[in-house]
Amino acid sequence: MASARFAEFAASDAQNHGMNLRFTFPPYPLVGRPRSVLRQYVEGNDPVTGKPLMPQVIDALTRPLTEDEKHPKPLRGAPRPRLLKPDTEESLHRLFLENDWTDGLPIVLPTEERVAHMLTGTAADPNTVVGQMTITTLQEKLEYTVEKVAVNAVMAGAGPEHLPVILALAASQEGSMPSSTTSFARMAFVNGPIRDEIGMNCGLGALSPFNHANAVIGRAWTLMTINLGDSRLGETFMGSTGSPLNYNNMCFAENEERSVWEPFHVQRGFKKEESVISIFRGWSAINSMGAAGCCRPAQEEMLLILQAFPALTGSITFVMDPLVANHLKEQGFNTPRQLGEWISKNFKMPVGQYFGSDLVYSFGNPLARDGVEPYASWWKLPKEILIAPYHQPELINSVVVGGETQALWFTTDMAHTQTLSIDKWRPKSGVYQEDEETLRRRQARQKRHAAALKASGYNL
Amino acid sequence: MAQMTSQAARGLRVVLDPRGQPTASVQPSALAPRLDTLNGKTVYLVDIGFGGGYDFLEEAAAWLIRNIPEIQIELRHKRGNMFLDDPELFAEIKERGDGVIFGVGG
Repeated sequence: MASARFAEFAASDAQNHGMNLRFTFPPYPLVGRPRSVLRQYVEGNDPVTGKPLMPQVIDALTRPLTEDEKHPKPLRGAPRPRLLKPDTEESLHRLFLENDWTDGLPIVLPTEERVAHMLTGTAADPNTVVGQMTITTLQEKLEYTVEKVAVNAVMAGAGPEHLPVILALAASQEGSMPSSTTSFARMAFVNGPIRDEIGMNCGLGALSPFNHANAVIGRAWTLMTINLGDSRLGETFMGSTGSPLNYNNMCFAENEERSVWEPFHVQRGFKKEESVISIFRGWSAINSMGAAGCCRPAQEEMLLILQAFPALTGSITFVMDPLVANHLKEQGFNTPRQLGEWISKNFKMPVGQYFGSDLVYSFGNPLARDGVEPYASWWKLPKEILIAPYHQPELINSVVVGGETQALWFTTDMAHTQTLSIDKWRPKSGVYQEDEETLRRRQARQKRHAAALKASGYNL
Repeated sequence: MAQMTSQAARGLRVVLDPRGQPTASVQPSALAPRLDTLNGKTVYLVDIGFGGGYDFLEEAAAWLIRNIPEIQIELRHKRGNMFLDDPELFAEIKERGDGVIFGVGG
C-alpha cells in the first residue's frame, strides 16, 4: 500500500526494482488524520482506481499471477551514445532544457572541444570510471566516467582549474538532491592550498554569488546530480517544496588563514597541505540574525537557536565568521571539539518535544522500539523531562568562513558525510593555471581586504 | 574530419550527452504465488514507518477481521526506518505467514 499521492512514483519505483508489484492506494495524507478519517479511507475507495479499497487488497493477494508478474523482464536502459545528434546551438540549448538536463539556468554547451579543454584540468584518463550514483535509496545507479564529469563541469561554466574539485565531489557518489519528500539540502567546502590556486572565496560574502569558483563548483554538483544521479522531477525527485540551497549547495572554502582554530580537515586527520572537500547533508541553515556575542555569549545564543531543530541526527554544523571563532576562543573554547562538548552537555529539550517531531517518529522511534540507547531510555521518560539529544559531541562541527565585518554565524543541521581528496584528481602540473589577469585581480582584492583589516586595528 | 567541417559549415554543433550510463544492476524478481483464499490464512500487515501508517494498518486489520472472520492477522512494525530491510521479520513471514501487506508508502 502507498498513499495515492505517490501512485505514479510507486509503480515506477517498483519497476525500477525489477518487480511488477500490486499496489492499493489509500487517499493522501495519512499522517495527522484522526482515526475516524482513517476508518473512512479503509471503508472507501482507492482514489486511483475508483474501486473499493479493501476488496482490492484481497484481490491483489488472491488473483492468479500474470505471466509478466511471474517472469518480469529486466528493465535495462539502452546504453547512451557519447555524442548527441548534431544540431544548431539554439536547438541544442532547447534540447537540454526540454529534457531537464539543466538546473533551469543557461548552460555552456559541452562541445567536444570544450570537454577536451576541461580534461586538461586532470591527470585522470577520461574513460576512468569515477563512480555510480542515484538520488533514490535503492534504484538502479548510473555509472559515470571522468569525461562525463567534465561534460557537466563545462555545462556549469567551470574551467579546467575547477575540475579536480568537481571530480572529488563526483567521487563521493552522493547526489546533492536526495529523492526525499522532505527537500534535503547539501553543503560543501574546500580546505587546503587549492582554495587559493583556483581563486575560491573564503572571506567576505563567500556564501553569496560573487565568486566564480564557489559558484561553478557548487552548481556542477547539482548538474551532476541531475544527469549522473538520475534526478527527474516527480519521477525520482520528490522534494515537496524543494530547497533554494540546491542551486549551489552552500559551496565555499574555509578561511583557514583567519581562523583561530585548526582547519576542519586537519581536525579530521588530514595534513594542512592536503586539498580536500568536505560534504554535508541536512535541511536548514539559520542565520544568527544579528546576534554577535555582545549582549549574550555566542554559545548561549547557539543554544536558543538550536531549539528550532528536531535534533534528529544529533549532528549540527556551525558556519561562522572568524570573529565568532575568536569570540568563542575568548570564552574558553580552544578547539571546536570543546565547543561541541559544551553544546552537547548544555543543550536540553523536553523528551516530549523530541519525540513529537515527525522526523524523529520515522527515524528515532524505530531505534527506541529496537532497544537502541539512549533512545530506548528516553522513550520511557515523562514528556516534560529534559534530555540532551546532541549526545555525541563528535557530530557537532564548526567551520570558519567570512570577511570579518560582523560576528555572525549560521546554525545548520548539516551532518558531515565525507571528506574527499582533491589532490588525487590534479594534473601533473599541480593545477591548471588561470590566466594572469584573473590572478592579478584576485591578489589585488586580497591585498585590499588585508589592508582594510589592518587599518581597522583588528588583528587576531 | 570532413563530416565535422561540413556540420560546422551548416552551423551545426556536436555536443556530448551529459547523462550517466545505465548499469542494469537491478535484477527482475517474480511475485510470490497468490493464495486461493484468505480464509484461515495468516496475513502479516507490516508498518514500514511513515507517519500515520501504523494507525491506518490497524484499521485495515480490523476491516479484514470483520470481513474474513477466519483470517489470522499479525500487525507489526518493521525494525529500523523505512529504507532498511528487516531480515528477521522477513524470515518469520516466510516461515509462518501466508501473505503480507507492506504499507503505507508516503
